[in-house]
Amino acid sequence: MSITLDQVTKRYAGAPVVNDVSLDIGDGEFFVLLGPSGSGKSTLLRAIAGLSGVDHGRIALHGRDVTHVAARKRGVGLVFQNYALFGHMTVAENIEFALRVRHMRAKARRQRRQELLRLVALEGLDERLPAQLSGGQQQRVAVARALAHKPEVLLLDEPFGALDAKIREELRRTIRQVQRELGITTVLVTHDQEEAFAMADRIGIMNLGRLLEMGEPHDLYSRPATRFVATFLGAANLILARRTPDGIQMGANTVAAAERSPGVREREVVAVVRPEEVEVAASRDALSSGYFARGVVHEVVFTGALESLRVRLEDGAQAPLLAQADGDASTSLLVTRTQHEQRGFEVHPGQSVAIGVRRVHVLPTPLSSFTACAASAALTDTLSRQPLLAELAVRMKTRIAMRAEPQLGVPDAACAVDSPFVGTTAIASQTDCAHRAEWLLRRGAKDLLVVPEHAPVPQRVLIHWMGEAARSATLAVSASVLRHLSAEAVYVGIFPEQTAGAHPQHGMRELLDARSEAHLAHGLEMRTELRFGDVAPQLARRLAEAPAQMLIVGVTELTRFAQAFRGLLDGGQWPVLIVYRGSP
Amino acid sequence: MAAAAPAALTGDARRPGQHTWLHSMVRWLFIAVSLTFLAAVLLAPLATVFAMAFERGLQAYLRSFADPDTAAAIRLTLTTALVVVPINTMFGLAAAWAIAKFEFRGKSILITLIDLPLAISPVISGMIFVLLFGLHGWFGVWLREHDLSIIFALPGIMLATMFVTFPYVARELIPLMQQLGNAEEEAAITLGAGGWMTFFRVTLPKIRWGLVYGVVLCNARAMGEFGAVSVVSGHIRGLTNTMPLHIEILYNEYNFVGAFAVASLLTLLAALTLVVKTLVERTGYRRR
Repeated sequence: MSITLDQVTKRYAGAPVVNDVSLDIGDGEFFVLLGPSGSGKSTLLRAIAGLSGVDHGRIALHGRDVTHVAARKRGVGLVFQNYALFGHMTVAENIEFALRVRHMRAKARRQRRQELLRLVALEGLDERLPAQLSGGQQQRVAVARALAHKPEVLLLDEPFGALDAKIREELRRTIRQVQRELGITTVLVTHDQEEAFAMADRIGIMNLGRLLEMGEPHDLYSRPATRFVATFLGAANLILARRTPDGIQMGANTVAAAERSPGVREREVVAVVRPEEVEVAASRDALSSGYFARGVVHEVVFTGALESLRVRLEDGAQAPLLAQADGDASTSLLVTRTQHEQRGFEVHPGQSVAIGVRRVHVLPTPLSSFTACAASAALTDTLSRQPLLAELAVRMKTRIAMRAEPQLGVPDAACAVDSPFVGTTAIASQTDCAHRAEWLLRRGAKDLLVVPEHAPVPQRVLIHWMGEAARSATLAVSASVLRHLSAEAVYVGIFPEQTAGAHPQHGMRELLDARSEAHLAHGLEMRTELRFGDVAPQLARRLAEAPAQMLIVGVTELTRFAQAFRGLLDGGQWPVLIVYRGSP
Repeated sequence: MAAAAPAALTGDARRPGQHTWLHSMVRWLFIAVSLTFLAAVLLAPLATVFAMAFERGLQAYLRSFADPDTAAAIRLTLTTALVVVPINTMFGLAAAWAIAKFEFRGKSILITLIDLPLAISPVISGMIFVLLFGLHGWFGVWLREHDLSIIFALPGIMLATMFVTFPYVARELIPLMQQLGNAEEEAAITLGAGGWMTFFRVTLPKIRWGLVYGVVLCNARAMGEFGAVSVVSGHIRGLTNTMPLHIEILYNEYNFVGAFAVASLLTLLAALTLVVKTLVERTGYRRR
């Protein structure tokens, strides 16, 4: 491995800007770190270069631990967005700088310089000053300068940011060519997904300081695992669907899933439909793909090669639900069509069309949507507007449904509920909350979020499970929640008091197992803590230790649930997400 | 419609002409006012200095420099500048570097403190040193016991001058270094350069024109300072009189030719400084 990052964390003023990033980049690989501005990608690159230190974790280059090695001794080449050429030196002096530092003889320096200028196609410009060159030429000089001392790793920090489209294209090709020719391991940071696709062997996508997913461009595009990656890599329609053994049921229509998995538990899922995988036709029969819904075209935008449509889905109980919660996007589906498709069937605003879907990808995320549940319609409405719940829904690009249960929390109410609970059920934190939670869990709610009235967006998420059967589900839910928060994850292992002296290794092993499963199966990096005593009081005490914390707790057993959780839930100040995996 | 359009066009076409005529009137008015003001406030006094200096002819002018006290005053001023300016240049570089490159507690306090000498009256600046090192000052007794003199001696003059002139280099460099950023230094470091090499090969060339400008201003003030130096010098002829102080003494003794001759020398030094400054600015712009 050329570059190995192990749980790298960098904080500014207490908040993590790079959060537990682990990554291996192979020899000669072209790796692109992609993310929106402020996602921590540049900070991570600077940490690899040694220009900024890390608060936690290790960085190794070619197997050599360089975490505490000075930037000048790391042997990396770095290219900056604004070129950072030495303005008072000529092109030749700029390129020879690293060689001069290493006391190379003038003749050898000149030879190496000419070699590099040929590589970046700038022969004959040796005596120019940077100010006399165009932006594209300056960046070529910067690349040559960064390669002069034959670094083992080349790092590029948004190198094309300041260039116009055509030059950018040209320089991209040059850099890719140089990289292939030298076989040098390269990391490029960018916020431009097109650039990432064009250059990368592998892409790693960052958001909120976390490395969310990585993989080959095509895999990431067609099979993203998270909402963020699905919507950041190109446009995507997120649709709330039901996974059934036959396929993906959206509204009344079932579309065969790309990946069939028989015998799967029926549940709500988030489906990704790319705009180019949507087909429109005059009628259901004219569709060549699976029928999805009917809709009315309300916007047609011609963008050159492609035509972009917005189609508003027709209302009705059978209509599929779009997952985006906000604004106009909530009811309109994005469609792109090629010239060929346009010629086959012309559309204009106001036209009613049948919509078909060629390909559906289901996100593996366990959290699909929220349902605000309370005893009356007015209370559900208040609950749905609680800041934390609303913020989570926006961040997760999902919607909040309302559900009034007049009997909610009434002890031994024999009544069954009318319809199954879907997605994550949210209730308000109040007195008697533990009873309400148990009431809902006994009637089929799987994931239950208890929302206090005034809770800030959490900065730390504590994770615990009671019973090994809930472990995998709790980790999956935690990983999904944490992708949308700039928070650190802490697994709190709790053992009964009397085992404190008896089996300390047993506790440690459990912590390590939990950590490695979180990392391997869910891409979740978490710290671990060990405590002794009764579970609920220990968790309550840990929650009270610092502000802005949230608890995710896995439960397999509902006997004595209300008694045990009274202290945690009733009138508590903390958001608690209960993941129940047991027989209802 | 067709008839209305050309009329509107001519109306539009005439307006820029009127505009330009009014514009040039205003321009000349402003230039005239500025020049008159400049002549009255700046050129007239300057002319007076040289007129008075040469009132008795070139012989008398040159003879006034032969006076040993005058020669001592010139020597003292040059010595002071020679010591103070390099020290303040070092300090200015260090302070600007610290402020532009690092984040630390009390940074804004440091910036304010650097400006302090510009804000307080030079006389007060002198008094501070008298209160510290004078006979009745905090260190007065200790200094007398060890037979060291600071006030009414060369060290006092240098301290006071240093205090008054220390903002100039730093003030010039801080905004410049902040604006230029760290990218070039960071590039140099990733290319393998150490701290000193980065400073001398990258930072210093980058800021050299700003630095020269700051040094020139600092030097001008160091040679011309009157208030603070007046308080600490003690006005001992031939020993602790700098050029500005000596001019005052000669003037009070009705030795107008002598006073204005020294004044003209000081003016010439200032003019030379300004010429250097202008050259520096031109070169600096050409390089950008």
